[in-house]
Amino acid sequence: MDPSFDDVWAECEDLFVQARQRLASLKSPQPPHVVQASVNALFRTTHTLKGMAGMLGFPRFSQAAHRMEDIFDLMRQGRLRSTDSLIETLEVGIQALESGLAELRRGRPEPEDYLHAIRRQLGELEALARPSEGAVLDLTGLLDLPPDLLKALSEYERTRVTAVLLAGMPIQGVSVRLDLATFDERLRSISEAAGAQGELISTLPLEMHDDRDGLFFLLLVATPALEAEGLGTLPEENLEVMALADPDRVPASLKADPGPLVSPKPAQAASNPPVALPQDAEVLRLPAQRVDALEARLMAVAQVRDSASLALREVQDPGLARPMAMMGEIEAGLLEVQKALLQMRMVKVESLFQRIEPMVKALSRDMGKPVRLSFQGGDLELERSLLGRLAEPFLHLVRNALDHGLESPAERVAQGKAETGSLRISASQRGQNLRFDLRDDGRGFDLARIEARGIAMGLLKEGEVHSAEDLHRLALEPGFSTKERASQISGRGVGMDVVRAEVEGMGGDIQISSEPRLGSLVRLSLPLSRAVIACLKVRCGQQTFGVPLNHVLRVQSSLAPVHGGGRIEVLGRDLPMESLQACLGLPEPAGQQFFVVLRQQGAAAEAGLDLALGVDEVAGRVELLLRSLPELAHTPGIMGGSLQEDGVLWVLDPEAVMGLAMDSLMKRVADV
Amino acid sequence: MSDSRLLLHARAAGRAFLLPLSELREVVPGAPVAPIPSGPPGIQGVVLHHGEFLPVLDWGVVGGDPDHAAPPTVLAVLRPRLGLPLEGVAGTVEAPEGGLNDSPAEDAWRPILAGLCQLEDQELPVLDADRLLALLHRLRKAR
Repeated sequence: MDPSFDDVWAECEDLFVQARQRLASLKSPQPPHVVQASVNALFRTTHTLKGMAGMLGFPRFSQAAHRMEDIFDLMRQGRLRSTDSLIETLEVGIQALESGLAELRRGRPEPEDYLHAIRRQLGELEALARPSEGAVLDLTGLLDLPPDLLKALSEYERTRVTAVLLAGMPIQGVSVRLDLATFDERLRSISEAAGAQGELISTLPLEMHDDRDGLFFLLLVATPALEAEGLGTLPEENLEVMALADPDRVPASLKADPGPLVSPKPAQAASNPPVALPQDAEVLRLPAQRVDALEARLMAVAQVRDSASLALREVQDPGLARPMAMMGEIEAGLLEVQKALLQMRMVKVESLFQRIEPMVKALSRDMGKPVRLSFQGGDLELERSLLGRLAEPFLHLVRNALDHGLESPAERVAQGKAETGSLRISASQRGQNLRFDLRDDGRGFDLARIEARGIAMGLLKEGEVHSAEDLHRLALEPGFSTKERASQISGRGVGMDVVRAEVEGMGGDIQISSEPRLGSLVRLSLPLSRAVIACLKVRCGQQTFGVPLNHVLRVQSSLAPVHGGGRIEVLGRDLPMESLQACLGLPEPAGQQFFVVLRQQGAAAEAGLDLALGVDEVAGRVELLLRSLPELAHTPGIMGGSLQEDGVLWVLDPEAVMGLAMDSLMKRVADV
Repeated sequence: MSDSRLLLHARAAGRAFLLPLSELREVVPGAPVAPIPSGPPGIQGVVLHHGEFLPVLDWGVVGGDPDHAAPPTVLAVLRPRLGLPLEGVAGTVEAPEGGLNDSPAEDAWRPILAGLCQLEDQELPVLDADRLLALLHRLRKAR
């Protein structure tokens, strides 16, 4: 391939990334002008792709891009309305073009028709686009709140904000500071009082960057006016009432025809808030080495700062208080730059999910196997370089699950299963690994067949007993396939061994397990070296720890100290309590009054393990640049640390801490 | 002509010793070590080195003599990314490849030594980084 075209290929890849993001954004509630801007951008993207394909000498690709461009043109003219089915079809089309481009780059010949999989849908688009599934509307942007808080609103809350504003009702805000020991009771009381004056839409926790103690909340109340006295707040609770949104700011055109409020799918609701993509954002392409060099230089500067800070502290001169404070500011600035650099390398797991979703839907339709697809953990981040390498293995695993795992609807019904199969893909951070679980509720791996195949291939000895674990592992061996004839869906020359090789090449590992007729689980674990992580800061003795917020279910206090091994009531449930000190093998306190309720990530309330972790103090929320511990320093319960002004803040590995807590509780029982 | 190799002549835990330069990544100024709560045996904590945490050896694990030890001033960073706190560095010496004498059985450092190297009037222990790492792994497993 002519290297002089490298930039063209790279630009095409960028265009596909932008196209996927814009299509994904169309699935969330957006104001009409944002939808229009996205469709315009998609039209320009496909137009550019068409031209570039022509430049590279691929006429069929150019024709296919032209066909997509026509569809976007119809949309921007208003002749086609944005519907779920339309977006789904367009996603499959963009995916087909992207895969096609990758094949071309590998030197493969052009196919007859890149868009053959959606040829019928493209022809039927106008008929399928029903007005009732038209553009969605979200007016939360009218709330006078910072973007971070807007992101925290649930889909229901967004819908209510939009509905009350369209109905001409203003939205008021109530901010309060509540004492940690009694906040749950106080919040309930104030919420009830606010609810009596209007519709209580949301109760948002606030992050305050000041020295005040306590927990801060913002209540969103739909009412013409709020009577502050009626809320029953105490003087020290710093009540503030503010106007957050005025219905007069709703554009008149929206009031006349707001359009239907379409709820997006749950997978997007939490992690894909409406984002207005800039029309002409300039994209800079930088060699990764330049970012590496910049990061290394920044680390060196940070080390000089640490040394300077240490030297200042050793002087112990009261007159150096101001320089010390300035050092703190430098540290905060450096952390921001480090985070920004890290972000340049990182991409949300959601990007991977966005690639998978249209493929699953298309496969499901083509194979006549209805499937309920769900994603979890899209907000987590992984390195961009890993994302590119993961896409192909993931697509193969998904194809495998649909082709071999899930049964036909008739077969499922005959077995007493729901007609619609289930495919759940979740991402979670486990210690220093990013873990992906792909679960289906299909037939599971045919272990008897794998064994027979293994014997036939000479990989197993006849007459020996082979464990289920061994047989599952065999499916990951090179050249191993139980399909005598490759199917059109999963038989593309990429076997599970290639998936394994790719994952292991990234320093990760793959495990598979299954239960006959219940389903399969494929688990991929990939190492993370650095990450930005939101934590709850807690103190035990003189040591501060961070607890990753994605595992924190609740923070609770009790009036009387509770000893490790005791039990506390949390939301009506009686939970075991263990002190963090006991988990880490540190000297135990006499009793603790603050508890961090941990939950296994992804666990449903009825099935998961909840545990109250006793700590001496809860010091608030913090965002950290997490550095993992090298192998020689691996410590049970600790996933890494973050350099702070007063030393290293150790970040707990919640899953491991829960394991240590259970061990400690068992030991207490055994010792009685 | 026999092959020779360069060794770092250093002092740690109150004792002079040699370390093959081939096993050394660099020597950097000492920095305060952040202890890890309930960290692994043999590791006193970590320091930040080139933006990553570097584990620092606790000489106590090999019978260091804290009574005769001076505070560490520099850190020798081994290739497998382990920091050895040193009280000082005397320089480098050239010694013939191989030909090491056995260390006495009662020497507490014996499990981490390649042997003893005869240098003119003195015999100095030569540290073996692989044996040191193996010892740390054994300790962690036995925990």
